[in-house]
Amino acid sequence: MAGNILKEEALEEKGERARMAAFIGAMAIADLVKSTLGPKGMDKILQSTGRGHSVTVTNDGATILKSLHVDNPAAKVLVDISKVQDDEVGDGTTSVVVLAGELLREAEKLISQKIHPMTIIAGYRMAVECARNVLESRARNNKDDPEKFRTDLVNIAMTTLSSKILSQDKEYFANLAVDAVLRLKGSGNLEAIQIIKKCGGSLKDSFLDEGFILDKKIGVGQPKRIENANILVANTAMDTDKIKIYGARVRVDAMSKVADIEAAEKNKMKAKVEKIIAHGINCFVNRQLIYNFPEELFADAGVMAIEHADFDGIERLALVTGGEITSTFDNPEAVKLGHCKLIEEIMIGEDKLIHFSGVELGQACTIVLRGASSHVLDEAERSLHDALCVLASTVKDSRVVWGGGWPEMLMARQVDELARKTPGKKSLAIESFAAALRAIPSIICDNAGLDSADLVSQLRAAHFSDDSTAGVDVITGAVGDMEARGIYEAFKVKQAVLLSATEASEMILRVDEIIKCAPRQREDRM
Amino acid sequence: MPGAQVVPGGGGGKTEKYVDNKRKDDIRMANIAAGKAVADAVRTSLGPRGMDKMLSTANGDVIITNDGATILNKMEVLQPAAKMLVELSKSQDIVAGDGTTTVVVIAGALLRQCQILLGMGVHPTVISDALHKASEKAVEVLTAMAVPVELSDRESLVKSASTSLNSKVVSQYSSLLAPLAVDAVLNVIDPARPNSVDLRDVKVLKKLGGTVDDTEMIKGLVFDHKASHTAGGPTRVENAKIGLIQFQVSPPKTDIEQNVIVSDYTQMDRILKEERNYILGMIKKIKATGCNVLLVQKSILRDAVTDLSLHYLAKAKILVVRDVEREDIEFISKTLNCLPIANIEHFRAEKLGQADLVEEIHVGSGSIVKATGIKNMGRTTTILVKGSNALVLDEAERSLHDALCVVRCLVNKRFLIAGGGAPEIEVSRQLGAWAKTLHGMESYCVRAFAEALEVVPYTLAENAGLNPISIVTELRNRHANGEVNTGINIRKGQITNILEENVVQPLLVSTSAISLATECVRMILKIDDIVSTR
Repeated sequence: MAGNILKEEALEEKGERARMAAFIGAMAIADLVKSTLGPKGMDKILQSTGRGHSVTVTNDGATILKSLHVDNPAAKVLVDISKVQDDEVGDGTTSVVVLAGELLREAEKLISQKIHPMTIIAGYRMAVECARNVLESRARNNKDDPEKFRTDLVNIAMTTLSSKILSQDKEYFANLAVDAVLRLKGSGNLEAIQIIKKCGGSLKDSFLDEGFILDKKIGVGQPKRIENANILVANTAMDTDKIKIYGARVRVDAMSKVADIEAAEKNKMKAKVEKIIAHGINCFVNRQLIYNFPEELFADAGVMAIEHADFDGIERLALVTGGEITSTFDNPEAVKLGHCKLIEEIMIGEDKLIHFSGVELGQACTIVLRGASSHVLDEAERSLHDALCVLASTVKDSRVVWGGGWPEMLMARQVDELARKTPGKKSLAIESFAAALRAIPSIICDNAGLDSADLVSQLRAAHFSDDSTAGVDVITGAVGDMEARGIYEAFKVKQAVLLSATEASEMILRVDEIIKCAPRQREDRM
Repeated sequence: MPGAQVVPGGGGGKTEKYVDNKRKDDIRMANIAAGKAVADAVRTSLGPRGMDKMLSTANGDVIITNDGATILNKMEVLQPAAKMLVELSKSQDIVAGDGTTTVVVIAGALLRQCQILLGMGVHPTVISDALHKASEKAVEVLTAMAVPVELSDRESLVKSASTSLNSKVVSQYSSLLAPLAVDAVLNVIDPARPNSVDLRDVKVLKKLGGTVDDTEMIKGLVFDHKASHTAGGPTRVENAKIGLIQFQVSPPKTDIEQNVIVSDYTQMDRILKEERNYILGMIKKIKATGCNVLLVQKSILRDAVTDLSLHYLAKAKILVVRDVEREDIEFISKTLNCLPIANIEHFRAEKLGQADLVEEIHVGSGSIVKATGIKNMGRTTTILVKGSNALVLDEAERSLHDALCVVRCLVNKRFLIAGGGAPEIEVSRQLGAWAKTLHGMESYCVRAFAEALEVVPYTLAENAGLNPISIVTELRNRHANGEVNTGINIRKGQITNILEENVVQPLLVSTSAISLATECVRMILKIDDIVSTR
């Protein structure tokens, strides 16, 4: 290198070397998560190097990638697309990374044949357009028929869950998730679905509860069961309203006056409690602690007071009961109270929880997950979250496609045909795109310990006819009719996988130079 | 595959995958080995003749225990898979409360079988699915073997509690502790919710001194403090009216900062007098309601009681118990059927609880305050555990907890099953027969599962110093002849009908041990990589 243009310790990689570094980084990431793909994919242990060495066991691509130490810039791009996929549709976080990895692997071969990256990009673009069109044309829509639509949803949920820890009870959980999402009535507001995890029992003991569960205790001596509750959700200090000016103090010259002040403070508190009770409520939920004195006052008035509900808890409670979080109590008319039919204490496992049923927002519900250990529960929550996200996005865009490698094979075939029609070097890139698509079913087979070469070629033959519904059924280890087996996927997920994987690989392909800035020096250590 | 190995980034191909799989197998084997090591560590503590472990913790404390969950909890393992086994034992503790060693031993045996299957080239997910099926079948078999039990059948409950206690240090006291545990749990069952028990309503109090023999159940309330007698107050009150207060009997203190300004010495006297009158006024109000026992909640903001107020309270013949924790308030108010009082203005007679006798008694190293003959007592129980040294005391408490959990299991799921390895052998036999009707890999895996379950009787026999092989084979033989309830009788050192020997355990303990162990093993099997993260 002639002369130092960059700072010392800054790294610069150019041309072929830069591209190689980008490819290798991206492919390493793809290979890492590759084995988690499909119903027989494996799990990973994530061991934290931080304090406590906490352990997570997961199959979720987004979770694995999110927690990785990644230094390679191209690898970071893949981690990002997986995150975006998670935010957008919630599932397919592994597929998107694997597809991008395969596209880059194919591109690498082309580059070694001295094909310009721009030509590859142009070919990929044509291919992705063609693939998307064919996928769209074959997607089905059952929105008008609620019963069929429900079956679609259950099937989609089962497909999503079949690659997760919940696979053994996937039918149960699929129905659970569909019930929860359908309660939302198309709003797609997953906030209203609360997931509570409680150790103990087995996964099958999980249940969907219509209503809201708060993991708190009711104050001493207060009613444990309230019907037709009017709930005031508040965030206010329930010790004393302190004067917040620093150094404010009172001077008195007699003991009795100190007692008077104490009494005055007590009275202020009492007045506050009376104001709160004057709202005509019989349940008071506060984010902060409620001290003994106000607690007793509430108990005397027969009001259920729940203290120390966390932020998340009260926000959700306000949402589902239709109330507003209040912190001043001077004009009761302006305050919106929450309502529900019944509040009672229930027991789950060894813990007592407060259950609000018949809440105003009929959409709300709680899923209580039970499981052997916290690892199982965490993973179950992640899996269920994936299923819920997919279902919510399917409710918005109700098109469905078949799963089990069907969309990939279908797209690959059309893309292959396009390649034959296209003159010039671009056709090579288009062909490679088809090969990358076909790699997905072959990885699914490999993970299941099946003969991928055999099954994929069988699939390819089956897809030669125009309206084939053939895909790989990993459970039986053979090619089968996806419609009959009920293996469905959401169109939106597949489309997002296709588009973002292509975009990411395009971005990495364009790179011809990596500049790493010099790490910031810490002078005090020198 | 020589020659093909040096294709850097050569677009996949067989070689690369081969190398990959090798690494994955290594990780899986390492996980299995770690899991087995944990299981081996607790194996010798299984059963009535199991040995104890002495644990010396990082801060120098010594614990002697036989309880699997406690041993594993204190072991501080680092390997992720080993950690999962520790978690497993914790889950069993939560679900069933007993069988925490059994569950880990079963998981270890399953892992051993999986290792063999993996060595034969069976795909992990196939093993995992088959294990799941086998465990469901096993639970079915167990349920079929179980005998229903009624809560009124106190004898059966006592039997199962003593089975759990027999494997502990305190086994010689099982005839005392078992009925105690049964009575304690039965006492707190809420008639409105007959199927659940909240063990928080059973308070276990430890006191050094005496022997475990002196352990007793108290129908009433016990405080682990002595009554306050700095000022010579009463230590024994009959026909007590008990007030539970959350305010303080001490000079007033405001939340806002305040100074009392004293400009000359005559004022000093006046202030002192005022202070006295203030406190006297409070105590008069308390006395006016007829209250003669006062429980004072601990306060961090100011003194809950002062010497002065104690003096006046003593003069008013009121027994005072101070430093009651806020968490205990609910338990106390439930037991005494009284309401906590947070302000002197609300101190009314109807909020007081009543008891025939409140007295302070000396027990071993300290004294306790005991309230008995409580009117309208809530559904709570207190058990006072005694022991000659701290180690025995702790272990007695843990054992009692297990026994309580066993009784709770029976309340939740009212079925009993034989102990002494009988259920495991029977499940193993039936699964073995079932495996023969299956096809392919599944059959192989189910058979492996069946073999793994034999570890329980095998270990029981081994720990008791019997010949494990002859015992297990004879057991198999007797079970094949249809004697479903034959198990190892450790006391006699031979094989007998274990139901007749009164060795029984709740069904829930056995079923959850099998299903939890399987779930954990399946999870370990599915792991193919350990990734270190932030």
